[in-house]
Parts: sequence; structure tokens; C-alpha cells
Amino acid sequence: MISFKNVNKWFGDLHVLNNINLEVEKGEVVVVCGPSGSGKSTLIRCINRLEPIQEGELIVDDMKVHDKKTNMTQIRAEIGFIFQSFNLYPHMTALGNVTIAPIKVRKVKKEEAEKLGQQTLERVGLGGKAGAYPAQLSGGQQQRVAIARGLCMRPKIMLFDEPTSALDPEMINEVLDVMVDLAKEGMTMIVVTHEMGFAREVAKRVVFMDEGQIIEIAPPEKFFTKPKSDRAKLFLSKILTH
Amino acid sequence: MLETFNFRVILEYMPLYLQCFTATLWLSAVSLIGALSVGIVACAMRLSQSRIVSRISGIYIESIRSTPLLAQLYFFYFGLPSLGIRLPEAVTGILALTLNSGAYYAEIIRAGIQAIPYGQIEAGIASGLNYFQRMRFIVLPQALGLTIKPMLGQAIVLVKDSSLLSLISIMELTRAGQLLTSDRFMPAEGFLTTAAFYLVVYYILKSISGWSEKRLIFREAH
Repeated sequence: MISFKNVNKWFGDLHVLNNINLEVEKGEVVVVCGPSGSGKSTLIRCINRLEPIQEGELIVDDMKVHDKKTNMTQIRAEIGFIFQSFNLYPHMTALGNVTIAPIKVRKVKKEEAEKLGQQTLERVGLGGKAGAYPAQLSGGQQQRVAIARGLCMRPKIMLFDEPTSALDPEMINEVLDVMVDLAKEGMTMIVVTHEMGFAREVAKRVVFMDEGQIIEIAPPEKFFTKPKSDRAKLFLSKILTH
Repeated sequence: MLETFNFRVILEYMPLYLQCFTATLWLSAVSLIGALSVGIVACAMRLSQSRIVSRISGIYIESIRSTPLLAQLYFFYFGLPSLGIRLPEAVTGILALTLNSGAYYAEIIRAGIQAIPYGQIEAGIASGLNYFQRMRFIVLPQALGLTIKPMLGQAIVLVKDSSLLSLISIMELTRAGQLLTSDRFMPAEGFLTTAAFYLVVYYILKSISGWSEKRLIFREAH
């Protein structure tokens, strides 16, 4: 479904992605973790070309993302992307936020899109908030609207860039619950997160990155209990001390 | 002091004032429409991916904002004919006001657009919305709410700046005050009347601004 082959990317002199090789199968859930600045956000931002790569091959759903000629609109419509800071449109209601792309990109009729939007908001537990503006919602609710916004495009892949890092602790679980449901329904997901409970429950593999490289790929249980690399041990010791 | 204030002469000159008031209104209105158009184009150019296009617009905006309107007006009025370009006075005046306010509008619009957090634009990109859809549905509706007040503020400035057109012998409000001064030597009557008319325009634009604030600025507070 997603295939990185010898992918390299630089920000000026900084080698943010250093020879990345990674295959993600259909229906697989992969958690990416690593210290800040390790390139994990950049990794998933390349998948829908929010960041272009400079070297290597990146194939998503049989389409060549590395090729400048590829029409990205089509690929992006198949990929839901969830940001750390939600990035909802503040001048639109929750329903407006989730229906704009289906109407404008998928050309779905407005009534149909609104029906789907309402259903999707119900699915993330926000059926009663369709008319609310983002500023009227809590952080956890906003992030669930953002997930609904992604799902309304009926995507094949969902990417999450630290979806719970900007949330107050008591709101993290409501978002993770929605993500766990999605994973169990067979969605292909790559999730940048340090939520180990989530990784243990649904991830097939954990990818550990540092300084632009993939250091270790292992099943979650193995990674969290017996990491192979010293850098992973050091990282885990830091996030586990609290 | 007020015993010497001659109200009768103001009434006598009222037809002239009304004629000149109308002139100020239409000169300002035409210049405003022109300035908004120039501003939108200059802003789009300024934000262009192409360095050259952006630079050209940048030079225009900077050179207008760094020089006085009066100097610009004199350049068009005296300078252009010496280069062989002869335009009617009203056209020269409108041209100067349009290009002057256009540069300020370009900056106002740019500030409004750039105030929209980039994350929202990325969210639009990620969901497959193209550039025009992102502008039309995400950026501009919010930018309009943010810029409506500064835009009306610039419109007020433009109306007041149109008084400089009196210096290239265009008949408008300030010119009416000058005429009353020179014909009857009554500068107090002449320019107070002129000021009163500007005040009327100011209050009309200001009340539109207040109304728009209630109606157009997006509902953040709900």
C-alpha cells in the first residue's frame, strides 16, 4: 500500500530522511516513534507530498508520489491526514468542516455529503455537535471532528501526526478510542505517537526513528520490552521515567 | 468671533459646494474601485511563486509607500506631459489616487491572507482542495472578515487624500474652499464648510465599518 525505497530528503544541510526503506501493507497499523527532530513527522508528510522527497521511490496505492508529474489531488483524496494542531476551519461548523472536501473534491451532492457528514460525526461520538464551530469545541472534540473530516473522504489510508500531543490528558482517550475503532475496522494507518498503550493494542509494528534514519522496526511488545538498539533503549528510558 | 462668521456667503456658495462634493464623491469612488483592483492584482503578484513577479509588485508597493502622494501627483501632472503623455486632469488625479491607495490595499489584503494559519491551508491541501478552492473556501472568507475594517479605513484616507487634487486645479471640495477664500477672502467660512462635507463622508464610511464588524467578521466568539 505504501512503499518507501531508499528515500532521502534534506532541509538545507539537514538530512531529515536518511535512506528510508519501509513497506506498509493494506490494513496494517504502524506506529512511528522517536525523539523530537528525528524525522518522523516528515516521514508521513511525504506520503501525501505535503513535503516532497528528493531521492528514492515512494509508491502509495500504486501511484508514484516521487514523480513530479503524478496528479496528487487524486492520491490526497485517498489519504486522510490528521494534524497535531487539528487545523479545523474556524469559520465553518463541524458539519461544514467535514463536508467541504467531499463536495468540492469528490463532487458529492450537498445533501448526500451532509448525510454522510452527520453519520461520520456520529461515528466519532459528535452527532450532536454538527452545528458547532471549532471554537465551541474542546481539543478532544476538535481532533475527533478532524478525524471525521478525513473519514468523510472514504480514504484508503489514514495518517496521524502526533494526534494527541496537543491535548489535555483527560481528552487523549476519547481520541485514541476513535483511532482504535478505526484500526480494528481494518484501516491502513501510520501513526506518529508516543502513546504506548495504543501501540500495544493495535499496532502490528513500531518504527523507531532517530536523526532521519529508521533504527529499528519491531512488534510493539518486543520493542517496548526488549529494544535492540541503544538509542531506542535510551529513548524509552526517557519517556518511561514519568 | 461668531459675529463675523458669514453664514449667508456659505448659502450663496452652496450650489458650488454641492457640485464639488459630488465631484469628490465620484473621483473617490472611481479611484477606490481602481485601487481595490490594483491592490488585488498587486497582492496576488506579491504572493506569487515567481521571484520576478513578486519583486516587480514589491518595487511598486515600496516606491508608492515610501514617497508622498503629493510628489506622486505632481509627477503624473507635470512629469508625464514632459515625457509626451498628456492626460486630462481628472484622469491624472484618479490615476495618482488609484496607484497610491492600490499599494496600501495590496498590503492590507496580504496581511489578511497571511494571517490565516498555514496549518489550515495544509489541511486543505491534504484533503485534495486545489489552490483556488483553498483561497475561495478557506482563506478569503476569513481574510475578508479580518481586513474589512482596515479596508474601510484606507477608503477614508483616500477620500481625504482626494483634497490634494485641488492642487492640479480639479474642482472638488477643497477647491471650493479655496475659491470662496480667494473670491471673498473668507477662509474660515470656506474651509470649515469643506471640512463639514468631508465629515459627512467620514461618518458614512465609519458607520459601514461598524456595521460590517457586526455582520462580516467571522463568528469566533460563538
